[in-house]
Amino acid sequence: MFELRNVSFSYSGHTDGGLRSISLRIPNGECVLLCGRSGCGKTTVTRLINGLIPNFYPGTLEGEVLLDGKPIAETPMYQIADRVGSVFQNPRTQFFNVDTDSEIAFGIENKALPPIELSRRVKLTSKELGIEGLQNRNIFQLSGGEKQKIAFASVYAMNPDVYLLDEPSSNLDMASIRALGDYVRLIKSQGKTILIAEHRLYYLMEVADRIVYLEQGEIAGSYTPREFCKLSGAERRKMGLRAIDLREELPECPATPQSGLTLELKDVSLFHKKRIILEHISLKAGQGEVIGVAGCNGAGKTTFSRALCGLHKECSGSFLWNDEPMNHKKRLRLSYLVMQDVNYQLFAESVEAECTFGIKNPDRELTKQTMEELGLLSFRKRHPNTLSGGQKQRVAAAVSLISGKELLIFDEPTSGLDYDSMAQVGGLIRKLAALGKIIFVVTHDYEFICRTCTRVLHFNSGKMQDDFLVSTENETKLRNLFSIDP
Amino acid sequence: MNNQPKLECNGLTVKDLVTTGIFSAIFFIFTMFGGVFFAVNPVLTFYMPMGSALLCGPIYLLLVAKVHKRWSITILGVIMGIVWFVTGMHWAFSLGYIGMGIIADMTAGLGHYKCKKLNMLSYMLISLGGIFTYLIFFIDPQGWAGAMLKNGTEQSYIDAMHTASPSWLPVVMIVGTLFVAAFSAWVGGNMLRKQFEKAGITV
Amino acid sequence: MMGQNQILPLWLDPRTKILLLLLCVLSAMAAPSLQYEFLLVAGIGILGILCGKWRYALKGMVFYAMVYLFTVWAMNSMTGTLRNMFVAFLGLFHKVFPCGMLSGIVISTTKVSEFLSAMNHIHAPKKLIIPLAVMLRYIPTIGEDWRYIKDAMRMRDVSPSFKGFITNPGITIDCVYVPLMMAASKAADELSVAAVTRGIENPNPRTCLIQIRLGAGDAFTTLCFAVFFLAGMYLKEVG
Repeated sequence: MFELRNVSFSYSGHTDGGLRSISLRIPNGECVLLCGRSGCGKTTVTRLINGLIPNFYPGTLEGEVLLDGKPIAETPMYQIADRVGSVFQNPRTQFFNVDTDSEIAFGIENKALPPIELSRRVKLTSKELGIEGLQNRNIFQLSGGEKQKIAFASVYAMNPDVYLLDEPSSNLDMASIRALGDYVRLIKSQGKTILIAEHRLYYLMEVADRIVYLEQGEIAGSYTPREFCKLSGAERRKMGLRAIDLREELPECPATPQSGLTLELKDVSLFHKKRIILEHISLKAGQGEVIGVAGCNGAGKTTFSRALCGLHKECSGSFLWNDEPMNHKKRLRLSYLVMQDVNYQLFAESVEAECTFGIKNPDRELTKQTMEELGLLSFRKRHPNTLSGGQKQRVAAAVSLISGKELLIFDEPTSGLDYDSMAQVGGLIRKLAALGKIIFVVTHDYEFICRTCTRVLHFNSGKMQDDFLVSTENETKLRNLFSIDP
Repeated sequence: MNNQPKLECNGLTVKDLVTTGIFSAIFFIFTMFGGVFFAVNPVLTFYMPMGSALLCGPIYLLLVAKVHKRWSITILGVIMGIVWFVTGMHWAFSLGYIGMGIIADMTAGLGHYKCKKLNMLSYMLISLGGIFTYLIFFIDPQGWAGAMLKNGTEQSYIDAMHTASPSWLPVVMIVGTLFVAAFSAWVGGNMLRKQFEKAGITV
Repeated sequence: MMGQNQILPLWLDPRTKILLLLLCVLSAMAAPSLQYEFLLVAGIGILGILCGKWRYALKGMVFYAMVYLFTVWAMNSMTGTLRNMFVAFLGLFHKVFPCGMLSGIVISTTKVSEFLSAMNHIHAPKKLIIPLAVMLRYIPTIGEDWRYIKDAMRMRDVSPSFKGFITNPGITIDCVYVPLMMAASKAADELSVAAVTRGIENPNPRTCLIQIRLGAGDAFTTLCFAVFFLAGMYLKEVG
């Protein structure tokens, strides 16, 4: 049973993310969903409970955090780890070992359980979580969703009383989010206490007992699921929250007619080491279109994006820009891919320097204008690494504009973003489209597609299975694509 | 309220150990990358330590800036030593890196790991870890090549050892490695100042 | 467990493999003649075949044979500075190659988890095991990161190649180091958090899921290599 009594906390060196006089009681077996804008403090609450504050993140803490009446601050972290298990949002950086079995056993090995018990628990965990197919495999070969399953299994094997999940669905696709929801249901049925800090709310509506809304470090609302669902869409958006029922999201974007410069793909097939990834893709795209690229993991979306950019060379068929064929070098000059992790693309020591990086004779006026248009002028001297995720995306977009790229591809731009940031990314993309760029967005964010995309491509089983406009007529098709029951 | 992160003995926290491990991985890769081209070439093999020293400055300096505690550099040296041993390199490589790692740790420690000049010197010292193999050759060329030369005649054997190696080569090797390491550390220092400190990833 | 119900391919405890490496290094150091080295390489080749790496073992032995013949010819026929150059280089080669070949066999037949289990068994300090484990786990990640960085560089018209480095060193250096270090820094934080919240700071010694046991194969192989080494030392004294 957890209790926060009048807790205030501020990180040393940050102003946001802190808490102001929070009091919260979580009885055993309850599932609590913490929601709110980025920086509201929901992650901070989880860190107080698993002991990361004050053991890992320094700052000033007032008030008491009690676990069954005993203050957490006096318990060493490894003892807290026995009772509280934590799963985090990035599947790539949570695993300590190279193979799956050792990773599942990592926590219980730390507890120094005898080897026979280790073996038994690993087998039991694999069975109960349905991941027997992932046993004895190299973690680097797993998909993001599979990695997150292993992370969850590693905590499950420790059998804690309390599970803390910090935005666990951020980097997952729809199928993996469903699996995660099943896991949460499973541990709830075992009577565990669960605390989840999340932006994506829809998959937890049926399993949460209480929903706590935080704003700027204070508890601004506490709802039962029924009360929460009664909130209107507009109210929810004002609170900065994402959709709680995807069935209520409706396609918005009117399809713009194709005009001006065009991109055409004629019977393009993509290979990787002689194996066919995608074949016989033919499509035409015009300026101002925002085309969503959807499909389950492994369908070839990333290969498609890289081939469009000219980064992936094993292709057959032709790419035409205004009826002129383009080899991969020309495609490189014309297009830009904003990666899922934008950090790999930021090289310079200030936003301004980043915008002119690698350009022989940069146009200062154009640079200033672009930064202003994208709202980056006030950050021009700051190091890109100090910006938020959404701001970094803007920097990447600015770079592409200044470099004169016509074809832009965004890879999962909204993973882990709250409603406001997601809307901002949508705004950015629509602005770029209005400037005459052709934009592809690889995404599985249904809300985002409804608001921002004009058209959707569906890749499956090595082919482009569908190519349709985002409109009310195609609503059923769109829903089926994302397995949302009508 | 106690706000200090809990410490293990010797002051290295789990975060410090993990950071050391990650940067050791990068250090190792860049050392290999910088050195392998020289090592497999009969003419240039003596310049292998220089090749490695050229690339690893920024990595080393960032590690020191992030951890700035005793034993981290020693652990880096020991890990490099283990790696050289397991990959079958000459034993002097392993012992060289372990030994110079300890000396480099103590050097940087004199300035509490925060003095830029001492950190640079510390890097120069650890870059000398790879020269000992070649020094052994210069000190005792007979023992080095003894096994091979038994197949030739006795006279040619003696002749060879008289003109075995120019005495300037070991000096060039040591001075050259120090010089290249200093340059790499200078580049690393600039990178630290311009980028990493501004980005907020140094403590 | 591997190698228990079948003899081939031979499975050796990682501790044995480390010991064999040590014996190999000592043997190469103490080598009384080139023929001895050749026998050492042949022995390692046989071990490689027994461990299931026969293609690798055969390639290694053939390559060594070629260099061996070259060495014999060079020492007899070459003169002057050219010869001296080869004396240094070949001297290093003959010392390093047997160990390098054995190392290839060791690394390709040992899983990371087995190696860490061995470190645990010999009671290596946690302060060494944690960085070592993290290092082994991070090396493939560096490969992944580098692939992303290469893509990013190409899109910015910076060439991720040696040519690019020569023509534009400042930019290339920034491109290669900065994202790599930033990613490493972030990964260090997140990895530590994931470890600490699963109890790594527990002062009790860890147990291991992967169990390793010394067997007859380990004893026999160690004996063979030890005898070979002692023979070498004896021959060196005598010869």
